[in-house]
This record gives sequence, C-alpha cells and structure tokens, in this order.
Amino acid sequence: MIKAQSVRKVFGSVTVLDGVDLTVAPGEVVSILGSSGSGKSTLIRCINGLERLDGGSITVDDFDVSKPKELAEARKRSGTVFQMFNLYPHMTALQNVTLAPVEVLKRPKAEAEAEGRALLASVGLADRADAFPSQLSGGQRQRVGICRALAMKPRYLLLDEVTSALDPEMTADVLDILAKLAKEGTTMVFVTHEIEFARTISSRVVFLEKGRLVVDLPTEQFFAADGGLANPRIAQFLSKMRKD
Amino acid sequence: MRIDLSLLVPYLPFMLEGALLTAQVCVLALLGSLIVGALMAVARTSANTLLRRAASIYADLFRNVPFIVQLFFFYYGLPEIGIYIDAFTTGVVALSIAGGAFTSDVIRSGILAIEPGIIEAAQVSGLSKTKVFSKIVLPVALRTSVRPMGSVFINLILTSSILSTITLNELTGTAKIVASDTFKPFEVYVVLLIAYATLTYLVSLLIAALHRRLNRDLGEAVR
Ligand SMILES: Nc1ncnc2c1ncn2[C@@H]1O[C@H](COP(=O)(O)OP(=O)(O)O)[C@@H](O)[C@H]1O
Ligand SMILES: [Mg+2]
Repeated sequence: MIKAQSVRKVFGSVTVLDGVDLTVAPGEVVSILGSSGSGKSTLIRCINGLERLDGGSITVDDFDVSKPKELAEARKRSGTVFQMFNLYPHMTALQNVTLAPVEVLKRPKAEAEAEGRALLASVGLADRADAFPSQLSGGQRQRVGICRALAMKPRYLLLDEVTSALDPEMTADVLDILAKLAKEGTTMVFVTHEIEFARTISSRVVFLEKGRLVVDLPTEQFFAADGGLANPRIAQFLSKMRKD
Repeated sequence: MRIDLSLLVPYLPFMLEGALLTAQVCVLALLGSLIVGALMAVARTSANTLLRRAASIYADLFRNVPFIVQLFFFYYGLPEIGIYIDAFTTGVVALSIAGGAFTSDVIRSGILAIEPGIIEAAQVSGLSKTKVFSKIVLPVALRTSVRPMGSVFINLILTSSILSTITLNELTGTAKIVASDTFKPFEVYVVLLIAYATLTYLVSLLIAALHRRLNRDLGEAVR
C-alpha cells in the first residue's frame, strides 16, 4: 500500500503540493491527471524520495520515505519510469536492466542477465540487449526504461508521463506494454496526458489542481456526467486534452 | 659541428635508470592525482558546505602556487618542523597533490555536466550513495573528462622533471649529470627531448584509446 497523507511540498514561496491524500492499494491502477504545473511530477518524486516533504507523510508498505533507513526499503518496493528515460548512457540495454538487481538485490549476475534478456525480449528488444542507449530510438529507450524498473520486481510502478517524449507510433508501442502489465495485475501510479488510455486501464482517476487533489473517483464515475465531469475544471481540462 | 651520439652509449644504462625512475614516479603520481582528484571532486560537488569550501581552498591553493615552491616547501621546509620525507616519496606526494588539484577541476566539470535525471534514476533504483558514485557518476563523468584529464597527466609528466631539483635522479637529473660529465649538453638534451616527447606521446595515445573505449557507444562520432 502506498499511503500519502496531507503531503505538503514548497519550493521557495510556492506551495506545489498542498495537503495531498492518496492511497494506492496493491492491484490498483491509479491515473493522475491535471494540467501542467499542477504538481503531478512532484507528487511522484515525493513518493520515490527524490524530494523531501515539507509536511505530511508518505509510506510505501509502511516504510516511511522521510526516514533514510526506511527509504531504502521503500525504494526496493517501487520502480520509477521517467519521461526522459534517464538511461545510463555508458551501459548497454542489458546492463541498464541488471545493474540494480545485482547491486541492490545481490542477485547472481548470470541469473539477473537471463531474466534481463527475457524482460527485454518481452518488450520486443531481444536483439537490442547489447545496444547502448544512444543507439536506440526513443520508443526503444523507454521500453528499456520500463524493463529496468520491472527487473527489480517492484510492487508499485510509478510512471511520470512516460510517453510524452515519444511520437504517436512509439507511444502506441509503450502503451501496449503498459496495458499488458495492467492486465497482469501490476500496481501502477500513472501520470499521463493520454486520457483515453488512462480511462481504459485505470481503476481510479485522481485530479490534481494547483497542488490540491480535488477529485479521487473510480474511473467510471470520474468520466460520468454526474461524477467528475460535474466539476467544471475537470470538464474543461478533459475537453481541452481531447482537442489536442 | 658534428653530432656524435655514440659518445653517449656508455651512459645509456644510467639514463635508462633515470627514465625508469621517471616512469615509476609518474605512474604513482598519476594514480595519486586520480584518487585525490576524484575525492576532491566529490567534496566540491557535495551538499555539505564546509566540505565544499575546504575542497575549493585546496584546489585554489595548489593551482596558484608554482610547483617548485610546493616541492621545496615539502622537501626543504618540512624538515624544519621535524618532518622528514625521502625525495622519491616527496616527489610522488607533491605531484599527486598538485595534479589532484587540476584533476579535481576536470572531474568536477564532468560531474556537473551529467543529466541529473540519470543520477536520480540510479538513486530511486535503490543503489547506495557510494554505488551511485562508482557505477554511474564517475564513469559517466569520465566519458567527458578523460581528454582534459589527459592534458593534466601530460603536464604532470613534464612537471616531474622538476624533481631533479630535490636530488632525485630521474630522467632530467641523470641527463644533467651526463651532460656535465661528457661536456656534450647538445647531444644529451637532444636525447632528453626525444625521451620526453615519446613518453608523453605514448600517454596521449593511451588517453585517446581510453576515450574511445568509454564512449564506444558513439562509434565513429568520437575520434
Ligand atoms: N525543483 C524545483 N524548484 C522550483 N520549482 C519547482 C521545482 N520543481 C517543480 N517546481 C514547480 O512546481 C510546480 C509543479 O511542478 P510539477 O510537479 O513538475 O508539475 P506537473 O508535473 O504537474 O507539470 C510548477 O510550478 C513547477 O514550476
Ligand atoms: Mg510533470
């Protein structure tokens, strides 16, 4: 369970997260929607410990991310996929995938490599395992990014606009993989602008506005005229997104 | 005037010994500056203000004082306060400290040039701070730093000739002795010129190979 309670985050004089409560239970796919600058990335970065909280608390399976010792445990339980991929440029696709299993989980190298190759094969990259990031297309890089996160067998997958840097064709490839993961029961916190896709894979949708989590509803209700759409800001946001 | 290099043949074993000493000093000092430089680069990019300040003072100090003054201070100054170190050790230590100051500069810019997201990816994957540094930060920084570091190392080899002033008979030291023995400074120093040029050329080849290796993913784009 990921539990965020009254989370506050301040940059200088700007309050970026203002009392956010969010719970993600195993098996759920929770999509986070909201316009640019509403605090979606910051919320993800608070969950994986890249930002320090200015108030409230976040626990991942009861491990408090604000405590350095517990953060290490919390981080083993969640995997992050980034908008800009952030692959290690000096390592091959396979090395990117096996680094953490070997160094953090102390898995034997041969085992980690066999699993890494299988993971890469499952996203259509069997023959690119030994390529470096600079030799891969954006879509291929992001698929490696997903494998790198999955290789740690995380209970929770945190995804921050993972298709925003990709063209439509590559976006479709990556979304297919995420749909498959969702079907297999992978727990996901999914920040996205792909509204229609979010609608098909999410169990819940939350809406952030200026650092406040204003709506948290089961997907069907979120998109219902008397549910989330009753909120004029959400209706406006969705119609704008669909036009783009 | 006739140039007769055969005159130097009897002295070659002696000069070779000097060259070997230079090579020894340089290899040790090279490793020393790499270690000192990496540590200081970490300190200079750390979040700890005190550590950062101290490391900057170190780098500024040793970059802005002539090497020969540093060397004399260690070799002739320290014994005054009861610290005696032999010439070889003094040479290696002094070169490592001075070389480390320049190396820290080069590695620091390499670290600052790393895309922050790459380091964050390593952090959230659960790697410890030291693993993040040894597996990601340092190797990625070295991709851009090897070449400027090569210039620092070549300078270090050239600077090692100054060690002859503290009684260390390395390449330049032996050459001085042979020149005064034979009264043939022209021939002796021609050999010396060639020896240093060869040594530094070999190092530059090594650095180029290392640069290609570290950036092998970029293929022909890196030469
Ligand atoms: N490191 C930072 N320093 C200062 N302001 C920041 C920083 N990171 C994010 N912000 C600000 O916080 C707000 C929310 O950013 P972000 O979480 O990236 O929004 P989103 O992902 O929803 O677009 C924005 O106004 C952004 O400018
Ligand atoms: Mg964002």
